[in-house]
Amino acid sequence: MKRTWVYAAAALLALLGLADALYLTVEHVTGQSVQCTIIAGCSEVLSSSYAVVAGIPLAMIGAAAYFSVFSLALLAAFGYRIAGTLLTPLIIAMFLVSLWLIYLQAFVIGAFCQFCLFSAAITFCLLIAVLLAHRLHRSEKSV
Amino acid sequence: MVATSFAHWLPLWLPQLETLMKRILPFIIILAVLGVTLGSAWYLTRPIPSSSTAVGSQQPAPPASSSPTSGSRSSGAQAPTPQPVANRGVPGAEPAHVLGPATAPAHIEEFGDFECPPCGMFHPILEQMHKEFGDRLRITFREFPLVPTHKHALAAASAAEAAGMQGKFWEMHALLYEHQKEWKTQFDVRPIFEGYAQQIGIDVERFKRDRASDTVSQRIFLDGKRGHSLGVQGTPTVFLNGREVPFQSLMAAEQLRVLIQREIDSAAKQK
Repeated sequence: MKRTWVYAAAALLALLGLADALYLTVEHVTGQSVQCTIIAGCSEVLSSSYAVVAGIPLAMIGAAAYFSVFSLALLAAFGYRIAGTLLTPLIIAMFLVSLWLIYLQAFVIGAFCQFCLFSAAITFCLLIAVLLAHRLHRSEKSV
Repeated sequence: MVATSFAHWLPLWLPQLETLMKRILPFIIILAVLGVTLGSAWYLTRPIPSSSTAVGSQQPAPPASSSPTSGSRSSGAQAPTPQPVANRGVPGAEPAHVLGPATAPAHIEEFGDFECPPCGMFHPILEQMHKEFGDRLRITFREFPLVPTHKHALAAASAAEAAGMQGKFWEMHALLYEHQKEWKTQFDVRPIFEGYAQQIGIDVERFKRDRASDTVSQRIFLDGKRGHSLGVQGTPTVFLNGREVPFQSLMAAEQLRVLIQREIDSAAKQK
Protein backbone atom coordinates (compact mmCIF):
# COMPACT_ATOMS: atom_id res chain seq x y z
CA MET A 1 0.00 0.00 0.00
CA LYS A 2 2.79 2.41 0.99
CA ARG A 3 4.67 1.62 -2.20
CA THR A 4 1.59 2.59 -4.20
CA TRP A 5 1.71 6.07 -2.64
CA VAL A 6 5.42 6.40 -3.37
CA TYR A 7 4.77 5.60 -7.04
CA ALA A 8 1.82 8.02 -7.07
CA ALA A 9 4.09 10.76 -5.66
CA ALA A 10 6.69 9.88 -8.32
CA ALA A 11 4.01 10.26 -11.01
CA LEU A 12 3.09 13.73 -9.67
CA LEU A 13 6.78 14.74 -9.57
CA ALA A 14 7.17 13.53 -13.14
CA LEU A 15 4.22 15.74 -14.13
CA LEU A 16 6.07 18.76 -12.69
CA GLY A 17 9.19 17.74 -14.61
CA LEU A 18 7.10 17.29 -17.76
CA ALA A 19 5.65 20.81 -17.39
CA ASP A 20 9.16 22.25 -16.90
CA ALA A 21 10.60 20.36 -19.89
CA LEU A 22 7.58 21.30 -22.01
CA TYR A 23 8.08 24.98 -21.16
CA LEU A 24 11.76 24.77 -22.10
CA THR A 25 10.90 22.96 -25.34
CA VAL A 26 8.40 25.65 -26.31
CA GLU A 27 10.91 28.37 -25.42
CA HIS A 28 13.56 26.61 -27.50
CA VAL A 29 11.31 26.05 -30.51
CA THR A 30 9.93 29.58 -30.51
CA GLY A 31 13.36 31.02 -29.74
CA GLN A 32 12.29 32.99 -26.68
CA SER A 33 14.98 31.65 -24.36
CA VAL A 34 17.60 31.26 -27.02
CA GLN A 35 17.59 34.98 -27.70
CA CYS A 36 20.09 36.85 -25.53
CA THR A 37 18.45 39.11 -22.97
CA ILE A 38 19.62 41.25 -20.11
CA ILE A 39 18.86 38.36 -17.73
CA ALA A 40 21.79 35.98 -17.98
CA GLY A 41 21.58 32.21 -17.64
CA CYS A 42 18.90 30.52 -19.70
CA SER A 43 19.85 32.24 -22.93
CA GLU A 44 23.49 31.22 -22.47
CA VAL A 45 22.63 27.62 -21.62
CA LEU A 46 19.87 27.12 -24.20
CA SER A 47 21.83 28.71 -27.02
CA SER A 48 24.86 26.50 -26.33
CA SER A 49 25.67 23.54 -28.56
CA TYR A 50 24.76 21.20 -25.68
CA ALA A 51 21.08 22.23 -25.87
CA VAL A 52 20.58 20.17 -29.01
CA VAL A 53 21.32 16.47 -29.51
CA ALA A 54 21.27 15.19 -33.10
CA GLY A 55 19.07 18.09 -34.14
CA ILE A 56 16.54 17.48 -31.36
CA PRO A 57 16.25 20.01 -28.52
CA LEU A 58 17.45 18.41 -25.27
CA ALA A 59 14.35 19.79 -23.52
CA MET A 60 12.16 17.75 -25.89
CA ILE A 61 14.09 14.58 -25.01
CA GLY A 62 13.61 15.53 -21.34
CA ALA A 63 9.85 15.95 -21.87
CA ALA A 64 9.68 12.47 -23.45
CA ALA A 65 11.67 11.03 -20.51
CA TYR A 66 9.39 12.67 -17.94
CA PHE A 67 6.31 11.42 -19.78
CA SER A 68 7.75 7.89 -19.72
CA VAL A 69 8.46 8.19 -15.99
CA PHE A 70 4.92 9.47 -15.39
CA SER A 71 3.38 6.59 -17.33
CA LEU A 72 5.52 3.91 -15.66
CA ALA A 73 5.04 5.36 -12.15
CA LEU A 74 1.27 5.53 -12.66
CA LEU A 75 1.15 1.95 -13.94
CA ALA A 76 3.33 0.85 -11.00
CA ALA A 77 0.94 2.61 -8.62
CA PHE A 78 -1.91 0.63 -10.17
CA GLY A 79 -0.06 -2.63 -9.53
CA TYR A 80 1.74 -3.27 -12.83
CA ARG A 81 4.98 -4.83 -11.56
CA ILE A 82 6.91 -4.61 -14.81
CA ALA A 83 6.41 -0.84 -14.82
CA GLY A 84 8.16 -0.52 -11.44
CA THR A 85 11.05 -2.62 -12.74
CA LEU A 86 11.48 -0.45 -15.86
CA LEU A 87 11.18 2.77 -13.88
CA THR A 88 14.40 2.30 -11.88
CA PRO A 89 16.96 2.19 -14.73
CA LEU A 90 15.18 5.05 -16.51
CA ILE A 91 15.36 7.34 -13.45
CA ILE A 92 18.99 6.37 -12.77
CA ALA A 93 19.86 7.27 -16.39
CA MET A 94 18.01 10.60 -16.08
CA PHE A 95 19.83 11.35 -12.83
CA LEU A 96 23.23 10.69 -14.44
CA VAL A 97 22.34 12.92 -17.41
CA SER A 98 21.24 15.64 -14.94
CA LEU A 99 24.62 15.42 -13.17
CA TRP A 100 26.39 15.77 -16.52
CA LEU A 101 24.24 18.80 -17.42
CA ILE A 102 24.99 20.48 -14.08
CA TYR A 103 28.69 19.90 -14.73
CA LEU A 104 28.35 21.50 -18.20
CA GLN A 105 26.52 24.52 -16.79
CA ALA A 106 29.04 25.00 -13.98
CA PHE A 107 32.34 24.34 -15.73
CA VAL A 108 31.87 24.52 -19.49
CA ILE A 109 29.12 27.06 -20.24
CA GLY A 110 29.68 29.08 -17.07
CA ALA A 111 26.00 29.95 -16.62
CA PHE A 112 23.04 28.35 -14.87
CA CYS A 113 19.50 28.06 -16.16
CA GLN A 114 16.98 27.91 -13.30
CA PHE A 115 14.57 25.71 -15.27
CA CYS A 116 17.36 23.21 -15.92
CA LEU A 117 18.26 23.21 -12.22
CA PHE A 118 14.59 22.68 -11.32
CA SER A 119 14.54 19.68 -13.66
CA ALA A 120 17.68 18.30 -11.99
CA ALA A 121 16.03 18.72 -8.56
CA ILE A 122 12.93 16.82 -9.77
CA THR A 123 15.13 14.00 -11.09
CA PHE A 124 16.92 13.84 -7.73
CA CYS A 125 13.55 13.57 -5.92
CA LEU A 126 12.48 10.86 -8.37
CA LEU A 127 15.65 8.91 -7.57
CA ILE A 128 14.86 9.15 -3.85
CA ALA A 129 11.29 7.96 -4.54
CA VAL A 130 12.38 4.96 -6.58
CA LEU A 131 14.99 3.96 -3.97
CA LEU A 132 12.32 4.26 -1.26
CA ALA A 133 9.97 2.08 -3.30
CA HIS A 134 12.72 -0.56 -3.58
CA ARG A 135 13.32 -0.47 0.15
CA LEU A 136 9.61 -0.86 0.87
CA HIS A 137 9.46 -3.74 -1.59
CA ARG A 138 12.31 -5.51 0.25
CA SER A 139 10.75 -4.98 3.66
CA GLU A 140 7.40 -6.26 2.34
CA LYS A 141 9.19 -9.39 1.06
CA SER A 142 11.01 -10.01 4.34
CA VAL A 143 7.70 -9.76 6.26
CA MET B 1 -38.99 -5.89 -17.85
CA VAL B 2 -35.60 -4.75 -19.18
CA ALA B 3 -35.04 -2.58 -16.11
CA THR B 4 -35.78 -5.49 -13.81
CA SER B 5 -33.33 -7.81 -15.60
CA PHE B 6 -30.61 -5.11 -15.60
CA ALA B 7 -31.07 -4.56 -11.87
CA HIS B 8 -30.84 -8.30 -11.41
CA TRP B 9 -27.57 -8.66 -13.33
CA LEU B 10 -25.84 -5.47 -12.15
CA PRO B 11 -24.58 -6.75 -8.76
CA LEU B 12 -22.96 -9.67 -10.56
CA TRP B 13 -21.24 -7.38 -13.06
CA LEU B 14 -20.04 -4.76 -10.57
CA PRO B 15 -16.88 -6.52 -9.28
CA GLN B 16 -15.78 -7.33 -12.83
CA LEU B 17 -16.54 -3.77 -13.95
CA GLU B 18 -14.53 -2.39 -11.04
CA THR B 19 -11.54 -4.62 -11.86
CA LEU B 20 -11.79 -3.66 -15.52
CA MET B 21 -11.94 0.06 -14.68
CA LYS B 22 -8.96 -0.30 -12.33
CA ARG B 23 -6.97 -1.89 -15.15
CA ILE B 24 -8.01 0.62 -17.77
CA LEU B 25 -7.94 3.79 -15.63
CA PRO B 26 -4.12 4.34 -15.68
CA PHE B 27 -4.10 4.08 -19.48
CA ILE B 28 -6.94 6.60 -19.70
CA ILE B 29 -4.98 9.00 -17.46
CA ILE B 30 -1.78 8.45 -19.50
CA LEU B 31 -3.65 9.16 -22.75
CA ALA B 32 -5.26 12.25 -21.21
CA VAL B 33 -1.86 13.59 -20.07
CA LEU B 34 -0.39 12.83 -23.50
CA GLY B 35 -3.27 14.68 -25.15
CA VAL B 36 -2.90 17.72 -22.87
CA THR B 37 0.90 17.76 -23.40
CA LEU B 38 0.72 17.55 -27.19
CA GLY B 39 -2.19 20.01 -27.30
CA SER B 40 -0.31 22.55 -25.17
CA ALA B 41 2.85 22.11 -27.25
CA TRP B 42 0.91 22.65 -30.47
CA TYR B 43 -0.98 25.68 -29.08
CA LEU B 44 2.15 27.38 -27.73
CA THR B 45 4.30 26.79 -30.81
CA ARG B 46 1.65 27.43 -33.48
CA PRO B 47 2.72 29.97 -36.08
CA ILE B 48 1.43 33.47 -35.29
CA PRO B 49 0.22 35.50 -38.28
CA SER B 50 2.82 38.09 -39.20
CA SER B 51 0.38 40.99 -38.70
CA SER B 52 0.15 40.27 -34.97
CA THR B 53 3.92 40.48 -34.56
CA ALA B 54 4.13 43.82 -36.31
CA VAL B 55 5.99 46.49 -34.45
CA GLY B 56 5.56 49.17 -37.07
CA SER B 57 3.26 49.24 -40.05
CA GLN B 58 4.49 48.24 -43.48
CA GLN B 59 6.40 51.10 -45.00
CA PRO B 60 7.32 51.76 -48.59
CA ALA B 61 10.93 51.74 -49.75
CA PRO B 62 12.75 55.00 -49.12
CA PRO B 63 13.15 57.36 -52.07
CA ALA B 64 15.74 56.52 -54.70
CA SER B 65 17.39 59.91 -54.43
CA SER B 66 19.19 58.99 -51.22
CA SER B 67 20.56 55.74 -52.59
CA PRO B 68 24.27 55.08 -52.26
CA THR B 69 26.15 53.08 -54.86
CA SER B 70 24.39 49.79 -55.55
CA GLY B 71 25.55 46.98 -53.30
CA SER B 72 28.12 49.18 -51.66
CA ARG B 73 29.33 48.60 -48.13
CA SER B 74 28.73 51.90 -46.48
CA SER B 75 29.65 52.71 -42.97
CA GLY B 76 29.12 55.43 -40.43
CA ALA B 77 31.79 57.93 -41.39
CA GLN B 78 31.42 57.52 -45.16
CA ALA B 79 27.76 56.90 -45.95
CA PRO B 80 25.41 59.71 -46.85
CA THR B 81 22.62 60.16 -44.31
CA PRO B 82 20.28 57.23 -44.99
CA GLN B 83 16.54 57.19 -44.43
CA PRO B 84 15.44 55.61 -41.18
CA VAL B 85 14.55 51.96 -41.80
CA ALA B 86 11.51 51.59 -39.58
CA ASN B 87 8.90 54.27 -39.34
CA ARG B 88 8.47 54.07 -35.58
CA GLY B 89 10.73 54.75 -32.66
CA VAL B 90 13.33 57.42 -32.07
CA PRO B 91 16.19 57.70 -34.59
CA GLY B 92 19.36 55.77 -33.91
CA ALA B 93 22.94 56.85 -34.60
CA GLU B 94 23.23 58.71 -37.89
CA PRO B 95 24.58 57.93 -40.37
CA ALA B 96 23.74 54.29 -39.66
CA HIS B 97 25.83 51.33 -40.79
CA VAL B 98 24.12 50.11 -43.93
CA LEU B 99 24.66 47.58 -46.71
CA GLY B 100 22.76 47.83 -49.98
CA PRO B 101 20.99 50.69 -51.70
CA ALA B 102 18.22 52.77 -50.13
CA THR B 103 15.99 51.80 -53.09
CA ALA B 104 16.02 48.14 -52.01
CA PRO B 105 12.44 46.85 -51.55
CA ALA B 106 13.42 44.82 -48.48
CA HIS B 107 15.00 46.48 -45.43
CA ILE B 108 16.47 44.56 -42.52
CA GLU B 109 17.34 46.46 -39.37
CA GLU B 110 19.23 44.28 -36.90
CA PHE B 111 19.80 45.10 -33.25
CA GLY B 112 22.80 43.02 -32.32
CA ASP B 113 25.33 42.30 -29.61
CA PHE B 114 28.74 41.01 -30.74
CA GLU B 115 29.07 38.74 -27.69
CA CYS B 116 25.61 37.17 -28.02
CA PRO B 117 25.88 33.58 -29.37
CA PRO B 118 22.61 33.62 -31.37
CA CYS B 119 23.76 36.89 -33.01
CA GLY B 120 26.92 35.02 -34.01
CA MET B 121 24.76 32.24 -35.45
CA PHE B 122 22.62 34.79 -37.32
CA HIS B 123 25.65 36.54 -38.84
CA PRO B 124 26.40 33.94 -41.61
CA ILE B 125 22.67 33.68 -42.40
CA LEU B 126 22.45 37.44 -42.95
CA GLU B 127 25.67 37.37 -45.00
CA GLN B 128 24.10 34.69 -47.17
CA MET B 129 20.94 36.78 -47.62
CA HIS B 130 23.09 39.77 -48.57
CA LYS B 131 24.87 37.70 -51.23
CA GLU B 132 21.66 36.15 -52.56
CA PHE B 133 19.50 39.27 -52.74
CA GLY B 134 22.19 41.83 -53.55
CA ASP B 135 20.69 45.24 -54.34
CA ARG B 136 17.17 44.11 -53.46
CA LEU B 137 18.07 43.94 -49.76
CA ARG B 138 19.25 46.74 -47.50
CA ILE B 139 20.76 45.85 -44.13
CA THR B 140 21.20 48.22 -41.21
CA PHE B 141 23.09 47.22 -38.08
CA ARG B 142 22.29 48.82 -34.73
CA GLU B 143 24.36 48.40 -31.59
CA PHE B 144 22.52 46.78 -28.70
CA PRO B 145 25.22 45.56 -26.27
CA LEU B 146 23.66 43.64 -23.39
CA VAL B 147 25.51 45.08 -20.45
CA PRO B 148 26.27 43.68 -17.86
CA THR B 149 25.18 40.21 -19.07
CA HIS B 150 27.94 40.19 -21.67
CA LYS B 151 31.10 41.63 -20.13
CA HIS B 152 32.86 42.39 -23.43
CA ALA B 153 29.80 43.47 -25.45
CA LEU B 154 30.40 47.18 -24.94
CA ALA B 155 34.11 46.89 -25.79
CA ALA B 156 33.20 44.99 -28.96
CA ALA B 157 30.54 47.54 -29.95
CA SER B 158 33.07 50.34 -29.36
CA ALA B 159 35.65 48.51 -31.50
CA ALA B 160 33.17 48.14 -34.36
CA GLU B 161 32.14 51.80 -34.11
CA ALA B 162 35.78 52.94 -33.96
CA ALA B 163 36.54 50.89 -37.09
CA GLY B 164 33.45 52.49 -38.66
CA MET B 165 35.00 55.91 -38.10
CA GLN B 166 37.74 54.79 -40.49
CA GLY B 167 35.20 53.33 -42.92
CA LYS B 168 35.73 49.68 -41.95
CA PHE B 169 32.70 48.94 -39.78
CA TRP B 170 31.53 45.87 -41.71
CA GLU B 171 35.02 44.38 -41.83
CA MET B 172 35.33 44.66 -38.04
CA HIS B 173 31.71 43.47 -37.64
CA ALA B 174 32.55 40.30 -39.58
CA LEU B 175 35.77 39.63 -37.62
CA LEU B 176 34.05 40.13 -34.26
CA TYR B 177 31.31 37.64 -35.09
CA GLU B 178 33.57 35.11 -36.81
CA HIS B 179 35.97 35.02 -33.86
CA GLN B 180 33.35 35.50 -31.13
CA LYS B 181 34.12 32.19 -29.42
CA GLU B 182 37.81 33.05 -29.23
CA TRP B 183 37.56 36.50 -27.61
CA LYS B 184 34.46 36.20 -25.45
CA THR B 185 36.25 33.96 -22.94
CA GLN B 186 39.31 36.21 -22.65
CA PHE B 187 39.94 38.52 -19.70
CA ASP B 188 41.25 41.48 -21.71
CA VAL B 189 39.87 41.79 -25.22
CA ARG B 190 41.45 45.14 -26.13
CA PRO B 191 44.70 43.72 -27.60
CA ILE B 192 42.66 41.17 -29.59
CA PHE B 193 40.52 43.93 -31.10
CA GLU B 194 43.66 45.96 -31.85
CA GLY B 195 44.91 42.91 -33.74
CA TYR B 196 41.68 42.89 -35.76
CA ALA B 197 42.12 46.62 -36.47
CA GLN B 198 45.59 45.89 -37.82
CA GLN B 199 44.22 42.98 -39.85
CA ILE B 200 41.63 45.16 -41.62
CA GLY B 201 44.25 47.79 -42.32
CA ILE B 202 43.13 50.77 -40.26
CA ASP B 203 45.23 53.17 -38.20
CA VAL B 204 45.52 51.31 -34.88
CA GLU B 205 46.50 54.37 -32.85
CA ARG B 206 43.49 56.29 -34.11
CA PHE B 207 41.33 53.19 -33.50
CA LYS B 208 42.49 53.12 -29.85
CA ARG B 209 41.63 56.82 -29.41
CA ASP B 210 38.29 56.57 -31.23
CA ARG B 211 36.94 53.59 -29.29
CA ALA B 212 37.28 55.60 -26.07
CA SER B 213 35.76 58.72 -27.62
CA ASP B 214 32.44 60.37 -26.82
CA THR B 215 31.39 60.03 -30.46
CA VAL B 216 31.52 56.26 -30.23
CA SER B 217 29.74 56.19 -26.84
CA GLN B 218 27.06 58.51 -28.19
CA ARG B 219 26.47 56.33 -31.26
CA ILE B 220 26.05 53.22 -29.12
CA PHE B 221 23.75 55.12 -26.77
CA LEU B 222 21.58 56.39 -29.65
CA ASP B 223 21.25 52.93 -31.21
CA GLY B 224 20.30 51.50 -27.81
CA LYS B 225 17.77 54.29 -27.33
CA ARG B 226 16.22 53.50 -30.69
CA GLY B 227 16.09 49.80 -29.77
CA HIS B 228 14.33 50.56 -26.50
CA SER B 229 11.84 52.81 -28.27
CA LEU B 230 10.99 49.91 -30.60
CA GLY B 231 10.56 47.51 -27.69
CA VAL B 232 13.77 45.55 -28.29
CA GLN B 233 14.47 43.36 -25.26
CA GLY B 234 16.97 40.86 -26.55
CA THR B 235 19.38 40.17 -29.36
CA PRO B 236 19.28 39.54 -32.20
CA THR B 237 16.06 41.47 -32.83
CA VAL B 238 15.40 42.01 -36.50
CA PHE B 239 12.88 44.21 -38.25
CA LEU B 240 12.01 43.54 -41.87
CA ASN B 241 10.43 46.63 -43.45
CA GLY B 242 9.52 47.85 -39.99
CA ARG B 243 7.99 44.59 -38.76
CA GLU B 244 9.68 42.37 -36.22
CA VAL B 245 10.75 39.00 -37.61
CA PRO B 246 9.95 36.07 -35.26
CA PHE B 247 13.17 34.71 -33.79
CA GLN B 248 12.68 31.19 -35.16
CA SER B 249 12.63 32.60 -38.70
CA LEU B 250 16.03 34.20 -38.14
CA MET B 251 17.81 30.96 -37.38
CA ALA B 252 16.66 29.25 -40.58
CA ALA B 253 17.94 30.77 -43.83
CA GLU B 254 15.10 29.21 -45.82
CA GLN B 255 12.44 30.91 -43.65
CA LEU B 256 14.15 34.29 -43.74
CA ARG B 257 14.59 33.96 -47.51
CA VAL B 258 10.82 33.42 -47.92
CA LEU B 259 10.04 36.50 -45.80
CA ILE B 260 12.46 38.71 -47.73
CA GLN B 261 11.19 37.42 -51.08
CA ARG B 262 7.61 38.13 -49.97
CA GLU B 263 8.54 41.77 -49.28
CA ILE B 264 10.26 42.06 -52.66
CA ASP B 265 7.26 40.52 -54.45
CA SER B 266 4.84 42.77 -52.62
CA ALA B 267 6.88 45.86 -53.54
CA ALA B 268 6.95 44.72 -57.21
CA LYS B 269 3.15 44.34 -57.21
CA GLN B 270 2.69 47.84 -55.84
CA LYS B 271 4.72 49.36 -58.68
